[in-house]
Parts: sequence; structure tokens; C-alpha cells
Amino acid sequence: MKNALFQSHAVKALAGRTLRWYFDSPSAYVTLFVFYLIIGYLFSAPLFLVKAASLRGLAEFAPLLLAFLVPALTMGLLADELKSGTFETLATLPLEDWDIVLGKYLGFAALHLVCVAGLLFYVVVLDLCVSPAVGLDWGEMLGTLLALALTGLAFGAAGLFASSLGRTQVVAFVTAFLVCFVLFLLGKSAGLLPGSLGTAAEYLGLDSHVETLSKGVLDSRDLVYFASLVFAFLYLTVQRLQSRRS
Amino acid sequence: MIIAKNLTKRFGGRTAVDHVSFDIPQGQVVGFLGPNGAGKTTTMRLLTAYLPADEGQAELAGLSVSEQPLEVRRRLGYLPEDNPLWEDLELTEALHFAGRLRGLSDDAARAGRVKAVVKSCGLRREVGTKVGELSKGYRQRLGLAAAIIHDPEILILDEPTSGLDPNQVQEVRGLIRELRSQKTMLISTHILPEATATCDRVIIINRGRIVADGKPAELAGNMADRNRLHVELRGPQGEVSRALAALPGAAQVSAPAAGESFVVESPAGADLREEVFRLAVRADWPILSLRQERLSLEEVFRALTKDP
Repeated sequence: MKNALFQSHAVKALAGRTLRWYFDSPSAYVTLFVFYLIIGYLFSAPLFLVKAASLRGLAEFAPLLLAFLVPALTMGLLADELKSGTFETLATLPLEDWDIVLGKYLGFAALHLVCVAGLLFYVVVLDLCVSPAVGLDWGEMLGTLLALALTGLAFGAAGLFASSLGRTQVVAFVTAFLVCFVLFLLGKSAGLLPGSLGTAAEYLGLDSHVETLSKGVLDSRDLVYFASLVFAFLYLTVQRLQSRRS
Repeated sequence: MIIAKNLTKRFGGRTAVDHVSFDIPQGQVVGFLGPNGAGKTTTMRLLTAYLPADEGQAELAGLSVSEQPLEVRRRLGYLPEDNPLWEDLELTEALHFAGRLRGLSDDAARAGRVKAVVKSCGLRREVGTKVGELSKGYRQRLGLAAAIIHDPEILILDEPTSGLDPNQVQEVRGLIRELRSQKTMLISTHILPEATATCDRVIIINRGRIVADGKPAELAGNMADRNRLHVELRGPQGEVSRALAALPGAAQVSAPAAGESFVVESPAGADLREEVFRLAVRADWPILSLRQERLSLEEVFRALTKDP
């Protein structure tokens, strides 16, 4: 246990506490309400406007929505502890920095994944609306939800890092939004950039990965992309917490 | 036990803690005194491995703070300055959370510890209350309860009574007194009666350096450069003055107020009280009062920490 990267009991306790913290504050409910409202609109709009059960619009627009909403959920994760001084309590408990970072992150991740899973309700409704002869493209549906889940997880890690930068939640929010927006924009602008710059932007940007997934194609390269983003930001967060102690 | 060897911490060009060394044996309760900004909190943060030292080493319970910070923290209860708490939790939830993070993962054992600290810290009345709604006195008790939830051998408390009213100060002091038989404690404060009331020993720090270390009474003795004995005696003033001045060891006699009061000064360490008594008996001068002046810890503190 002494040399482990993290201690599971502490991570579990912190993740549970973080989840509780979300449900104790109205801001989480407001964020979730906005999430379901807008995603619900994106789900149903094509159905009524063009009479197609497609999630193209959702896959296109949802990352931008998440770039707003996820930072709202993550901005307080560490900034709040730094501001109230409870970070000193955490940092003087027998915890590794990874325990704190993973605990906080997994608390957020649990909330986010439950939210995305809640969207299955929309999918079921959609399935009921589609004539059985045509059927629903379940690959596309589940792929899009997976893309949303992974995008949110990556944004959450960026948001947690932004939250470690200081005591001010607004700074954490704006920084996280900027990082998420750049990731979103990179993919969009890939076509406009010349040569290898364009290729790099395409790989680093969200668009190409979200697009593949939302077509129902499960490619390990996309999974590696999201996993690397999560790991990179969590690693940066740990580094940041360590640098705060000197 | 707590050992600090030449602990030094600099922030930019400012040295907050400057080669601080002390050795606190097991079971001793030490008051850590100093004006605001003297380096008390920084020293405590170095001891709890919250901040790394720039120079020097610290050892708690025989373990190196820099090399085994997690092991050290397992044996340590720390109450940070201003007692930060998770406001949204209910009192027992907060203690369970602290317990879980301390590695008390067995539910039954943890529940037992929570019950024990709720009792020992007098928190029973507030069970069910949210932390954010507790009064300052109860918050402080909760902070202490959370710090001892894992029954640590060492307690480091940063200003445990600051901002409390006199009754609450008494309560928290009482709590500390109850814990003192089992734990090694370092308690920072800038309230001096606090240290005299609760501590075996005081360490005074100023501008990052230790300026005094010893028992409260010893410190006062060491500081005084001479003894002053206040004598109130009924007798002819001139004659009494001369007789007092003639006592062996008496350096100077003055009669500040006309009448029966005299002050006999003698070199530090001398005690003229018995001589004065015998003189008064011989001459049949009734003694109305006899008082050896002692420097209070407050005077020692002020002398050691005033700005040059």
C-alpha cells in the first residue's frame, strides 16, 4: 500500500463525498436541467422538423454544450477546497495527491455517466416513435451516447485541472471552458489548416473522434485519444497540487 | 515524540522559519507561542508534511517527515489554523468521512470511534446538526474530534481556541487537558494564559527563530535580571529602610509610597523573604504583606518578541 499510486478506500470515500456534494447544491440540479433540456431538444428537433430519427445534430452540437456545462460542474471541485481551507485538511491526511485527484474526478465521472445514461430514456422514446419496419439505428444511437460520455469525461479532467489553479471558481470555469472550446475548435478548423498542421488538428480536435463514434464505429484510436486526454489532465492536476505545497 | 532539527522555510526572500530545533518527548504538552506572523503555522505545516522544508529535518514518532509523510500523518492528528470543515455535512457524517479518509474502513469499528469522540468531545447535543450551522465552540470541538478520530499518538493544534468566548475557551482547554495524559501535543497560540494553563513547556518563536524554550515558571526566572521583594511593614520608615538595606544580599531599598511599603531589590536567584521575616520579628514590626515579584509569561513574551 505504501508505494501504490492511490489508495482505493480513500478514493472511494472522496468520490462518494463528491457525488453527495453535487446533490447537496442547487447548481448541479440547474446544470442537469439545462443539459436534459437542450439535449432533449436536439434529440427531438430532427424528429419533428425533418421526420428523421437521427442524432447527427446532437453529435455536432453536444460537445459545445458540454464545454459550457462540464466546467460548471468541475469548477468548484478543488477551488472550493482551496478557498475554504479544507484542502489543507485533505493534504495533511494520509492521502497521496492521486487519491485526492482520482476521488474528485471519479465523483464527477459518476455523475456525468449517470446523466448520459439518463439519455437512454430519449433513445427509447425515439425507438417507440420510429416505425418498426424502418427500425432505429442502435449503433448510431449508442455510439453517440458513448461519444457524449467520453467527451464529458475528457472535459471533466480538464475542468478538474482548471479547478486546481486557484481559489476562484470563475477563473476555473473560464479556463476550463477555454480548454474545452479549443479542443472543440481544433476539430472544426482542421479542414482549414494546411498539410500536417491540419492532420494534427484533426487528431487533437474532438470532431473526428466524435464523428467516428457517433456513426457507431468503435475504433481503439478514438478510445486511446479520450483516455490520453483524461490521463494528461489528471496528471497535470496532480503536478499542480504538488507544486502548491512548495 | 516530535523532533525538529534546523527546520528552515523561505518564501521568496523572506525566511519564515529560521533553523528551528526542538525535541518534544512522548507525552509532553508544549505551547508554541509567538506573535502573529512569527512562523508558528509554517513550522506546523513543515511538521505535518504539508510544506517541504528548505533545510533541516523533522521526525514524528520516530519517522522522517520528508521520507515517510504518509506514515507520519497516520500517527498524527492535526487541527489547521481556522479549523476548516466541510460545511455541508452533518456532524457524524463529517466524522465518518474523516475516519474513512484515515483508513478506518471497517464500518463497525469506525462507528465505534465516532461514538467515542462524540462523547469525549461533548458533541452529543449537536448530533444531527449540519456543520455549517454549528456555533464556533462546537465547530472547534468537531475539529478536535476529527483530529483524534484515529486515536493518534501525536496532536498538532494550530490556535485551537482563537476566536472563542471565555466559556468556550475553558471547554476546549478542558478537552485538551483530558487528552494530555495520552498524547504528545504541540499547541500554537498567542493567548498566553492558555499556555500557562495547559502546557508543560513553552517554546516562544519570533521572526522565525526560537527565542525561549522551557517551563513557564523557569522562563520567567531566567528572564528576570534581579529580584524585587515588596514588603509592607509597620515601623519607623527611616529605620526600616536602613535595616532592610543591611540584610545580606539586599542591593537597594526604596519606599515608593510614603508609609509602610518598601521594595527590596537583590541579585537574581536570591530570596530575602525569610531574612525579612526574622528582622521583622526581632524588631517587632508587624508584616502586613510580603510578595516576591515574578515576571509573568506575558512580560517574558513581550520582552522577547517586541520589535527592536
